[in-house]
Amino acid sequence: MKLFGKLANILGIKKKEVKILILGLNNSGKSTIVNHLKSEEDKVLNIVPTVGLNVEKFKYHNVGFTAFDMSGHGKYRDLWEHYYRESEGIIFVIDSSDTLRIAVVRDELDILLQHPDIVTRRIPILFFANKMDLRDSLSTVKIATILGLERIEDKPWHICASNALNGEGLQEGSEWFTQAICENIK
Amino acid sequence: MAFKRDKKEEEEGTGNPFQNLDKTAVLQEARTFNDTPVNPKKCTHILTKILYLINQGEQLGTQEATDAFFAMTKLFQSKDVILRRMVYLGIKELSNIAEDVIIVTSSLTKDMTGKEDLYRAAAIRALCSITDTTMIQAIERYMKQAIVDRNSAVSSAAVVSIFHMTKHSPDLVKRWVNEVQEALNSENVMVQYHALGLLYHIRKSDQLAVTKLVAKLTKFTMKSPYATCMLIRIVCKLIEDQNAASGDTNWSNSPLFDYLETCLRHKSETVVYEAAHAIVNLRRTSARELAPAVSVLQLFCSSPKPVLRFAAVRTLNKVAITHPSAVTACNLDLENMISDSNRSIATLAITTLLKTGSESSVDRLMKQIATFVSEISDEFKIVVVEAIRALCLKFPRKHAVLMNFLSAMLRDEGGLEYKASIADTIITIIEENPEAKETGLAHLCEFIEDCEHTSLAVRILHLLGKEGPRAKQPSKYIRFIYNRVILENATVRAAAVTAMAQFGALCPQLLDNVQVLLARCQMDGDDEVRDRATYYHSILASQNKQLIQDYIIEPLMVSIPSLERALHAYNLHPSPTPFDMSSIPLSTITTSDPTEMADRLRTPSGGVASEPTAQATARVESYYEKLSAALPEIANLPGTLFKSAAPVMLTESETEYVVRCIKHSFQSHLILQLEVSNTLSDQLLENVTVQLEIPEGYELIKETPIPRLAYNETQSVYIILQYPPSLADSVTSVGAVLKFSVKDCDPTTGQPDSDEGYDDEYMLEDLEISLSDQMAKVNKPNFLALWEEAETDESMNEMEDTFCLSKMESIQEAVASIVNFLGMQPAERSDKIVAGKSSHTLYLAGVFRGGIDVLVRSKLAVSADTGVTMQLTVRSTSEDVCELITSTIG
Repeated sequence: MKLFGKLANILGIKKKEVKILILGLNNSGKSTIVNHLKSEEDKVLNIVPTVGLNVEKFKYHNVGFTAFDMSGHGKYRDLWEHYYRESEGIIFVIDSSDTLRIAVVRDELDILLQHPDIVTRRIPILFFANKMDLRDSLSTVKIATILGLERIEDKPWHICASNALNGEGLQEGSEWFTQAICENIK
Repeated sequence: MAFKRDKKEEEEGTGNPFQNLDKTAVLQEARTFNDTPVNPKKCTHILTKILYLINQGEQLGTQEATDAFFAMTKLFQSKDVILRRMVYLGIKELSNIAEDVIIVTSSLTKDMTGKEDLYRAAAIRALCSITDTTMIQAIERYMKQAIVDRNSAVSSAAVVSIFHMTKHSPDLVKRWVNEVQEALNSENVMVQYHALGLLYHIRKSDQLAVTKLVAKLTKFTMKSPYATCMLIRIVCKLIEDQNAASGDTNWSNSPLFDYLETCLRHKSETVVYEAAHAIVNLRRTSARELAPAVSVLQLFCSSPKPVLRFAAVRTLNKVAITHPSAVTACNLDLENMISDSNRSIATLAITTLLKTGSESSVDRLMKQIATFVSEISDEFKIVVVEAIRALCLKFPRKHAVLMNFLSAMLRDEGGLEYKASIADTIITIIEENPEAKETGLAHLCEFIEDCEHTSLAVRILHLLGKEGPRAKQPSKYIRFIYNRVILENATVRAAAVTAMAQFGALCPQLLDNVQVLLARCQMDGDDEVRDRATYYHSILASQNKQLIQDYIIEPLMVSIPSLERALHAYNLHPSPTPFDMSSIPLSTITTSDPTEMADRLRTPSGGVASEPTAQATARVESYYEKLSAALPEIANLPGTLFKSAAPVMLTESETEYVVRCIKHSFQSHLILQLEVSNTLSDQLLENVTVQLEIPEGYELIKETPIPRLAYNETQSVYIILQYPPSLADSVTSVGAVLKFSVKDCDPTTGQPDSDEGYDDEYMLEDLEISLSDQMAKVNKPNFLALWEEAETDESMNEMEDTFCLSKMESIQEAVASIVNFLGMQPAERSDKIVAGKSSHTLYLAGVFRGGIDVLVRSKLAVSADTGVTMQLTVRSTSEDVCELITSTIG
């Protein structure tokens, strides 16, 4: 059995299981993104504001993802840290049309990066600059500067613009994310 | 060696696998929940352990619980059904300890609306346990859908969970009534039952709504027998309430009662039984209404199902207390059940027969009981004892047989409760039947020779002290009592010393011997015993009749808690004057009324329990302290607080302002404490007073208004009145008006809108100042002796008059109303009346304010055409009081 497992691992057939966290302010589109990543039969039609968290499972490129889709509501943000330790990757969703609250995003991100369970670990972070279809949305470059992403040196990160309603940009992000996680595990 | 141990372990293998679980270790294991991938089997096992610990009473700290809770939330990733359902249970258990439990709200709403039916009901229950008032809106939509879900388990779970939520947010739940109404029409029996329960719960404070609901539901038959049972209970409650409100006795023709009768013909046995049980338990049922219910129960008696037989015979047993004649028809069936293989059924059958049977069958039945009494549990033995007690009262001539039987039972093994009930029964028999006294006391003496229950031994010793000296041969009891002094523990020894002193006080020929024994007791090792022995010894040695009468024979009359408080206060502030015993209020005497007991037994113990009727026994005796805090003036009034009457409502209980009056009588003053509550959230009352039409002779001494009364507050207006010099004027009624100035205010903050107020007033009901307000009850154990003494005493006045109480229909009724009216204590147990007698003599003893002793004898006779005739004789040291009593009764 052990031999078979190793063999499968080498050939890349073995199904990998990873836990990831989906974070971001409320109304940034976290649940919508997760909904898009799920298989066709699990999809739900209308998305309601998450209270607490949702646990979702989906598969991407032979990797099984267990996503903890956290509520972004102000009063629930304190609860994120309960899930930091076990996560092997973080998807951080930003509403790129919400220029007013981008400062809040930066604050939350700083708190996240300085958390003891995160700061020492080399876990990949994927930023989705969501709602790119809206007219007054910020560009990825601009968001990266505002959030000061260049300061992140010890973790692989990537930012890409997305539109969770039709799935635009999600493909690109997810592919990078899967690859980064696979490398990380090896 | 190792082999041996293995075997031992094997034998113990059937034991509890979760024994000796350690909380810390289990919580450590709970970290497994964080692993990827989840191991469902292992996690389920750990969850079971946690639940086991919590249910064993293990206390989890908030941090521990929160950590375990968050670890548990990670298990939502597993699709394992068993694990998921364990997670729901875990959420419910931890929901009131852990913090931030609302984190799982979304996960649970997803499960309760999802496709997996196995998750849905359990998820609803868990969701409702984590939801508080602020979060209800978030789940409202889902709950509404769940109530009317096609899946009955889901619908039931939703309805029951909402029922639990009414505890913390009743108003929100009311908005879902429409959905619940829809669930009531469900095809599923359980959903229908739960929905009816919830609907009633929401509406139960609104009688009109309940009436409508019942009227609607009684028209068509519900599918669910459980719901029908529930409806029967609601109907019963409604009938009782309507009776209480209208006092109408002709309710048996009402449509509600018709419904109960139709339920007797329902196809479900449960419903038939419930209906019969309900009819039987209604107050004031007459034989005519009982007949159909009893005949249904009779049918059940011959049913092959033991449950039905048990239920039927148990109910019949209860009916037999109040309506023995109605049950006589079932005697034949009951006889057959004596030999029932189920001992509980047999016991109940026999005890029922004992209640309904004739005198001739008693011997036979007792023999039958004796054959199996050792095989039944204590609980049923008590039932047997109760039946024997009733029998003794009914057939006093049979006491020898019954007493023998009881003493045999006393010798058997049994718990305290069982022994106490036997002793109780013997004591009642002794009290009710003078012929049985000697044998009864002898049995009790024998019993305390070998009694391991201190409380019982003390009671019996007390009884011996009271009754023994009046027996034919008092000396023989001394031996039994003195044996206790030698053999028992300190408490019993002290009681025995007191009992012996009674003999010394009442039997002059035994005095010398008792003194010798008491002298010996002064050597006892226990302080209390020594103190008592010294105390009694010196009083008895003084040979002073008055002292002996006051300090040994007459029991302490004052209220013990007040005495304790007064002594404590005296110790804290010692004063040169000696402690004044007369300043302690007399104790309110609580008598246990057998009819009250029967009433309590008859109240249905099901879902629709009636409100506790009387809590008057729990009267507060600390009024004096509260009064002196509010009114410093009372220190200057002559005398101390003599009596505080029970509160009287001066308004309806649901009006804008609720006023309750408590009358406190002093020697020559009356203090009215008027408790005013403001129930209007948009009003602030200021300068609240109660204006009285001061009756003739009364004098207003002082009045203290309430300066400010906000919403939901209750404060008191105090009015001090001086009693009129002529006693005849003191019994009167006083008109009262509540006066105040109103300021409108904001309901939420309670801040007045403006400084401008306007004056308003509110009519109150008339306040009655009655005779009983000025009279306190006292217990006179040897009333007749006092009565005879008063006849010859020069200082006593006597007055006699004859009255015709045409409104009264029975002697019981007349006695109750006289006792109530005069506010005096019945002596010589003269308030207990043998049913069916046409004449009776009632003795009453009391103290009028100012410490005037009053004795009353009232001879009553009943006749069909004139009602009750009463000859009232009053003896008192004050002529005015005599006159007052005779003049107010008319």
